[in-house]
Amino acid sequence: MSKLSFRARALDAAKPLPIYRGKDMPDLNDCVSINRAVPQMPTGMEKEEESEHHLQRAISAQQVFREKKESMVIPVPEAESNVNYYNRLYKGEFKQPKQFIHIQPFNLDNEQPDYDMDSEDETLLNRLNRKMEIKPLQFEIMIDRLEKASSNQLVTLQEAKLLLNEDDYLIKAVYDYWVRKRKNCRGPSLIPQIKQEKRDGSTNNDPYVAFRRRTEKMQTRKNRKNDEASYEKMLKLRREFSRAITILEMIKRREKTKRELLHLTLEVVEKRYHLGDYGGEILNEVKINRSDKELYATPATLHNGNHHKVQECKTKHPHHLSLKEEASDVVRQKKKYPKKPKAEALITSQQPTPETLPVINKSDIKQYDFHSSDEDEFPQVPSPVSEPEEENDPDGPCAFRRRAGCQYYAPRLDQANHSFENSELADLDKLRYRHCLTTLTVPRRCIGFARRRIGRGGRVIMDRISTEHDPVLKQIDPEMLNGFSSSSQTIDFSSNFTRTNASNKHCENRLSLSEILSNIRSCRLQCFQPRLLNLQDSDSEECTSRKSGQTVNNKRVSAASVALLNTSKNGISVTGGITEEQFQTHQQQLVQMQRQQLAQLQQKQQSQHSSQQTHPKAQGSSTSDCMSKTLDSASAHFAASAVVSAPVPSRGEVAKEQNTGHNNINGVVQPSGTSKTLYSTNMALSSSPGISAVQLVRTVGHTTTNHLIPALCTSSPQTLPMNNSCLTNAVHLNNVSVVSPVNVHINTRTSAPSPTALKLATVAASMDRVPKVTPSSAISSIARENHEPERLGLNGIAETTVAMEVT
Amino acid sequence: MAEVGEIIEGCRLPVLRRNQDNEDEWPLAEILSVKDISGRKLFYVHYIDFNKRLDEWVTHERLDLKKIQFPKKEAKTPTKNGLPGSRPGSPEREVRKTLDLSLQPASAQASGKTLPIPVQITLRFNLPKEREAIPGGEPDQPLSSSSCLQPNHRSTKRKVEVVSPATPVPSETAPASVFPQNGSARRAVAAQPGRKRKSNCLGTDEDSQDSSDGIPSAPRMTGSLVSDRSHDDIVTRMKNIECIELGRHRLKPWYFSPYPQELTTLPVLYLCEFCLKYGRSLKCLQRHLTKCDLRHPPGNEIYRKGTISFFEIDGRKNKSYSQNLCLLAKCFLDHKTLYYDTDPFLFYVMTEYDCKGFHIVGYFSKEKESTEDYNVACILTLPPYQRRGYGKLLIEFSYELSKVEGKTGTPEKPLSDLGLLSYRSYWSQTILEILMGLKSESGERPQITINEISEITSIKKEDVISTLQYLNLINYYKGQYILTLSEDIVDGHERAMLKRLLRIDSKCLHFTPKDWSKRGKW
Repeated sequence: MSKLSFRARALDAAKPLPIYRGKDMPDLNDCVSINRAVPQMPTGMEKEEESEHHLQRAISAQQVFREKKESMVIPVPEAESNVNYYNRLYKGEFKQPKQFIHIQPFNLDNEQPDYDMDSEDETLLNRLNRKMEIKPLQFEIMIDRLEKASSNQLVTLQEAKLLLNEDDYLIKAVYDYWVRKRKNCRGPSLIPQIKQEKRDGSTNNDPYVAFRRRTEKMQTRKNRKNDEASYEKMLKLRREFSRAITILEMIKRREKTKRELLHLTLEVVEKRYHLGDYGGEILNEVKINRSDKELYATPATLHNGNHHKVQECKTKHPHHLSLKEEASDVVRQKKKYPKKPKAEALITSQQPTPETLPVINKSDIKQYDFHSSDEDEFPQVPSPVSEPEEENDPDGPCAFRRRAGCQYYAPRLDQANHSFENSELADLDKLRYRHCLTTLTVPRRCIGFARRRIGRGGRVIMDRISTEHDPVLKQIDPEMLNGFSSSSQTIDFSSNFTRTNASNKHCENRLSLSEILSNIRSCRLQCFQPRLLNLQDSDSEECTSRKSGQTVNNKRVSAASVALLNTSKNGISVTGGITEEQFQTHQQQLVQMQRQQLAQLQQKQQSQHSSQQTHPKAQGSSTSDCMSKTLDSASAHFAASAVVSAPVPSRGEVAKEQNTGHNNINGVVQPSGTSKTLYSTNMALSSSPGISAVQLVRTVGHTTTNHLIPALCTSSPQTLPMNNSCLTNAVHLNNVSVVSPVNVHINTRTSAPSPTALKLATVAASMDRVPKVTPSSAISSIARENHEPERLGLNGIAETTVAMEVT
Repeated sequence: MAEVGEIIEGCRLPVLRRNQDNEDEWPLAEILSVKDISGRKLFYVHYIDFNKRLDEWVTHERLDLKKIQFPKKEAKTPTKNGLPGSRPGSPEREVRKTLDLSLQPASAQASGKTLPIPVQITLRFNLPKEREAIPGGEPDQPLSSSSCLQPNHRSTKRKVEVVSPATPVPSETAPASVFPQNGSARRAVAAQPGRKRKSNCLGTDEDSQDSSDGIPSAPRMTGSLVSDRSHDDIVTRMKNIECIELGRHRLKPWYFSPYPQELTTLPVLYLCEFCLKYGRSLKCLQRHLTKCDLRHPPGNEIYRKGTISFFEIDGRKNKSYSQNLCLLAKCFLDHKTLYYDTDPFLFYVMTEYDCKGFHIVGYFSKEKESTEDYNVACILTLPPYQRRGYGKLLIEFSYELSKVEGKTGTPEKPLSDLGLLSYRSYWSQTILEILMGLKSESGERPQITINEISEITSIKKEDVISTLQYLNLINYYKGQYILTLSEDIVDGHERAMLKRLLRIDSKCLHFTPKDWSKRGKW
């Protein structure tokens, strides 16, 4: 055997192997041991089983005999084929078709119940059949429905009755039987089913769980372990780049829109000048007409925005009503119309004011403008696909998983944080904005603070809340309120069975009945339709104002009205920013009015409140000369300034959409933060069922401001000039921007702590601001300072995202 | 001599068993479970070195209590003692936990620990018979079991595999079950790869399937067979269905199948012969048949010759049938896994027609896209039809499909014993058929390359080689490899082919392969 000392070459699969047969075979004895050179191939069996007795025996038998021997077969448990009732069981014959059988896809889903009756059921059926006729299939369908409708919890009899379209007695009988049977049943269902996996992974090792869903895993080349990680990194990189692009694009768009707005404003002013519309009458008319049209425009424009911006200022400081905003709104509205064609979908989307009614209300129209400079400042970029979150994603049972292709938006916590210096105020705020004084038409009574929302299937749900003022509120006679409402011409609009007296915002909770009433009386009889609300508000205000001019303001004894006044004053001041004199006179007037009001304030508490609020603000504000300035005024400044600057309409809209998205999608009313929005949303929703929720919500953000608007526009003789000044203001925005540094500074400072992502946003924001700033905006920004950090953090690009998909 | 009451899970002792020749034997068996039925104890025994399908419930009369060996691990692992009447399953879990805790130190010591244990293991590995002498092994020591990963002759290869467990090669994972009697050892080995993978390649915990304790809880997603036994729970080691009635047949399942748990207590599980839906009772089946009008598998017929037809069923489009089929098949396939859904598979069901309809004879499943050249995932001839040539017919059909696709293929591993025999037999006959059919050209000796054989038959090259080897056809002569066809090989082949009457006729196949990669994954 020495000749075998050489090493055989490896077996080459590509090399021809000559075949030797029978006699011409060489002497193989010499070759045997060389077989080593051919690698031993694995059998492909589990090693432990490979050695099994019977297999080994069979293999060796085959080796020896080259054939299977009966006794060497691997034994298996027996199988019998002697089911004698087979022919009875499988009735009928099936003729083999000539053609190959071809099955139609989805043909297989028949309507047959999955439940199969057993003999126990049969006895019941026989018993039931004595009284009525029930077929087995009918019975099975019933059980099937019951089973499928109940998971861990059995359906109730009532539900069963809804579920089953049968005679009541039969349902009862079957239901009782089913409940009993199910209790005795060992399995989770009477229809035996394969155990399903649970998402929390607790069933990962359960041998009875089968057919788990495959969570998709990316396929990278095998044997390259790095691939997956680097692939992920690349993905992430790409995602971030595209986010940057999105942000830049949005900025670009915003700037464009702003420019357009400017041009349009100019145009409008020019036109008005030519028309001699110095008093704004023509403008108003045009607006009204337009608002009607907008109604129709709304639905189509809903979803065009990719970039949702939270309209913060409004939602956030709803109570800080901004006159400025109104003023600017007025301006803007004119612009809007001409703008529409140019700005296309984006702009149109903002306009939709589904509820706009043919009432002369600038405010109405304004409501739907969501482009305050503020909004612009905090463009809500589709929330960053936040990496930290992804990584830390707790693998809880309901763990949120991102889906590719979905954009996620940052949670709107901004609304959640109303930082009040005054905790009492905060309390009030909550009460006010979430729940409003509500009166039912049937039975006719005031149910105190409540809020309305639409439940499933359009049912109206009233959430009531108990407050300290309940006893007082109970005394309120709906008729009293009614009287006001009717006087304010708004009854007609409130077609709903319920009418809310939304003394909400402006009525102090601690007031006595008379105060509340007076509050209501003074202007805030509101209906559920935010539209209507506004209308009513404005209407009432208008009426009153027309009657009594400035005295209207005086009528407003309540703090709320003070707030209104303040805002209005501010608004004036804002508008007056251009013409100093105007501004001054306005302010003085307003101050006077306010003083009157204050004097009328009967409750010291309240006055204290207001004064408390007033002082800090006043100090901070450049318009400190007006003593009565309150929080509201500041916010009004702020809001107004926001509005004055050209907003990107679409964003505002989008923001609204998002808003609604939050509310609706989650199906749960968001916590206190959103209070105002929600509140108004609810109203909007409930009031105009026909209009899609999204549209309605848009209006929400501004409803609060709208209340104030009427006061501004209608109450004072200066309204017209004011409008003009608004316009001019807008025109001269750039000039005014001298003040802006302050603003910007503030903004940036507040945002500084936020992560890099935020920075981008803020930069964008600050860029926005520059042109927008009006004298008053400086103030407003100061006023806002408190809120801003939060808002930035939340709205800009937040680290946390809401577990919600907006697709 | 032990008392009956002392017999617990894990005990080993000779158990009386009647073999095929009707002779009594006393093979060593392990008690897997004990149950009490009306005061009478029953023991679930696994005959060591016999296939699991022969496991059964026996009474104590069949146990040879004189030679009982109690599980050694009991003494060593205190955690188990605390669990009265615990089944082996639970102690294993305990062990797993300890193992987890000690994994860090274990791997840290791995370098220093080195050889003693590995050597031992390798030895045992190579001489499987010896296992009987060491009942229980010492798998309860986490260290030894986890370190058995490194040692032994395949260590380098396995390392690779450890890092990318998604592409397991069955033969490599096989050592994972070196201690077949002890689940803990398996678990230990199985736990390791997941751990490594996690630390090595996935910085992010992207693999959300991993349970919190770090043990990969989800098996790979390709293929249909379990290659590691990490999920080899005691529950799955025991048959759970007593009997299945399917059409004319009553089948005794061989292995565990995850039918709804409440059905496992039934003496008979009734299946609709055509849609394979399961029911509790004959009455249920009767009722079901009034509603089920299927008389053939709910797919497209792609082959028909005589009474034999093949139906193609898409596991994604026809989930309920696919699942029912899988459940049934699992009763007879040990390594089949039903962990994941059936979406990525096609099912080819072979039927035999008679006046009642197309009766299922067997089936094989196939991944729509296989990364490892598998042309069969699971394959099964139902027991009543076994040993009548249907299995080979199924295999032949699977290769016919591969021929149409223009690919070579191989069955997914691990093979079962019957699978191995069937495939070997098919390969042998197919290859011999080719070799013997070769005519010598111009007086020269006929010759063929392995690649050519592979191309003609669609049998993967490795399988061709292993078959040639198994048949002992490859020899080295005068500096080159030759194939030798000895007389008895030729004779044996000819005799076998005479018996092989059922063949696939490729002309009767109407099949156009789909490119699944283009139509989305599954």
